[in-house]
Amino acid sequence: MTMKKRLAVALFFGLVSTLVFTASPASAHGEKSQEAFLRMRSIGFTDVSFTGGQTLQNGEIQLNQGEFIVLKGVAKLMDTWPDTLAAGAPRIGYINIATQGPCVEMVARTVNGVSTPGRIEIAKGRYYAFEMKLMGRRPGRWHIHPSFAVKGAGTVLGPGQWVNVKRTSSGFTSPVTLYNGKTINMENYGLSVVWGFQVVGFILGMIWILYWTAGKRNPDGSPKSWMGGKRTVTNPAVTLSIPLNDDGVAVGLNSKRDHRAVNMMLVATTIFLLVGWIYQASAYPVKIPQQVVQFEPPKTDLDTAAPLASVNPLVADYEPDSRALTIEVAVDNLSDGPIEFAEFTTSTLTFVPPGGTATAPGYYQKPVQVSPSGPIQAGEKNHKITMKIDGNALVEEHLVPTSESQLTMAGLMVFKDSTGRKSSVEIEEPLRPHFKG
Amino acid sequence: MASDTETLEADAQFERLKALVNKEYKYIDRKWDAVFWISAAFIVGAAADITMLLFAGDWDFWTDWKDRVWWPILTPFSLVIIGSALQYIQWLAWRFPTGMTYTAICMWFLSTLGRWLQWGNFVWYPLNFVWGTTMVPAGIFADWVLMKTKSFVLTGLLGSAVFAFTWWVSNYVMIAPYLQPAEWMDRILTVSDIQGIAYIRSQTPEYLRIVEHGTLRSFLGETQYVSIVFGMTVAIAGYWIGQFIGRMLAIWPIGRFMKKW
Repeated sequence: MTMKKRLAVALFFGLVSTLVFTASPASAHGEKSQEAFLRMRSIGFTDVSFTGGQTLQNGEIQLNQGEFIVLKGVAKLMDTWPDTLAAGAPRIGYINIATQGPCVEMVARTVNGVSTPGRIEIAKGRYYAFEMKLMGRRPGRWHIHPSFAVKGAGTVLGPGQWVNVKRTSSGFTSPVTLYNGKTINMENYGLSVVWGFQVVGFILGMIWILYWTAGKRNPDGSPKSWMGGKRTVTNPAVTLSIPLNDDGVAVGLNSKRDHRAVNMMLVATTIFLLVGWIYQASAYPVKIPQQVVQFEPPKTDLDTAAPLASVNPLVADYEPDSRALTIEVAVDNLSDGPIEFAEFTTSTLTFVPPGGTATAPGYYQKPVQVSPSGPIQAGEKNHKITMKIDGNALVEEHLVPTSESQLTMAGLMVFKDSTGRKSSVEIEEPLRPHFKG
Repeated sequence: MASDTETLEADAQFERLKALVNKEYKYIDRKWDAVFWISAAFIVGAAADITMLLFAGDWDFWTDWKDRVWWPILTPFSLVIIGSALQYIQWLAWRFPTGMTYTAICMWFLSTLGRWLQWGNFVWYPLNFVWGTTMVPAGIFADWVLMKTKSFVLTGLLGSAVFAFTWWVSNYVMIAPYLQPAEWMDRILTVSDIQGIAYIRSQTPEYLRIVEHGTLRSFLGETQYVSIVFGMTVAIAGYWIGQFIGRMLAIWPIGRFMKKW
């Protein structure tokens, strides 16, 4: 087979494969490609919940276009924040969602109880309780995560949730009330101005180009219509023989008619711009520059309340064959009453002891065996706890850093007291994988 | 005597060129004109759009980036480059003052098609959030300057400055509806700000948006006019980058090729 035939066959099969085979839809957001030790040490997500809509049997949420769900949770900017990210001093953050484009619309967002349209000033060790009201927009099945972006570092995701948005027969609108009291639909507001101006401008441009490139001409070279009737590809025979700053009028390439034509086009374009300018000035008399909203969210009880416990991590063992992760910690109860271990969260995953509950979406909620179980009494020091975690979920989420440059496990241990108050404590411990051979 | 000979030679040359203008070619007819202009449209439009995306990118993509400080500086600079190259090529080859306008309509058609298809239909961003710029009126002005001055130096100095100014006037008309204030999330924001927050951009956190933040050099509060004038100046530099592309990366290699063959 000749090279040409090989190429033809390869092209043919390439074309056929693009038409016949379908790619499976992407549903991830790239979070698994980030190093595990960076995800575990940067942002800790707790109490993440999705409410609203209708919860289906498979745990997914269904809502119609225009209906709302609320995504709540707490993000802690951990003290274990790596020095390699944002020079070790995160300063500006943005709490958002990660999903497949504008399938839902952000309608309201608060951080620590304050309305937060834009970025926030952040600091290590602080808690950010967020609440985002989302409106179903694009019909389809979408995976939605809370996300915490840090300037100079990147975006870290919390646990996600599948959300099914159903099309409504009445259509979808996104109303916003302007300061002048007029309500607009953000889905198409201002498009008539944009399209009208663009299309008229395009027509002017086409007239200009058609004048110069199209039209028939008489035997003496004069145009038969309003268009110039000029030739183009044969012109270099002439243009290359005259100086560059000669417009070719003398030899008949161009004419005074052409000069008049471009003058008229300039006048028409100027009138067009003037009309547009007068229109925008009268139709939209009040305009302000784009706004940049940045502030430091207030501290909440999460920041100011005394912690329930302090934790000294002792061991983090990982058995690659069985994928069993064992973490031993020593806990000091700092409160006045008994406390209980409630959950261990790291990156997107939440591990809950038997009998415990957590709000994280089901897929991201996994069991953890704790020994000894039961409360830690008031004032008790050096209470040792062993957590045994089935590492399959960690492997699935690419959270076992056995092939990474920092063998470490980190996360938040959450304790609760008899009143239900919760308090989280960061842990970080070098990981010891039991490699074979 | 010598002078008479030169005059006769010049006259002969003049008549020869005049005859060439109206010469009927057997194989190179109007169809070739159409083939050239239509097929080149895709290359020119793509080159202009890619150049614009490389230099101005987000500023010309989202309404909440189309601010009064950076947008009038970066976008005209990025747009004038390919327009300038085409202006040189089309003036040199055909003596047509069409390069900027041709680039403008090609780019507008392709970029609008892209916004509608990729961002409107595939990803569902509303088009009133992702509409592209128009450089058609600005292109007509710049081509007019070339036709009148017949000089690339003057067109570079005056035409590109006029280009940048006209570009701002024509695009400000379109951004105007989105600069209206609205109270949203307990703040007074523009409609464009609201679009930028409401329509999720997962990988573009708001803090990446480089718009006017304010400086102590407040220019008496007239930053917009300072930016426009600076944009006009920067466009002159862009124009000569385009001239370099047109002269050294397009025409010069073609000349070498023609000589070789």
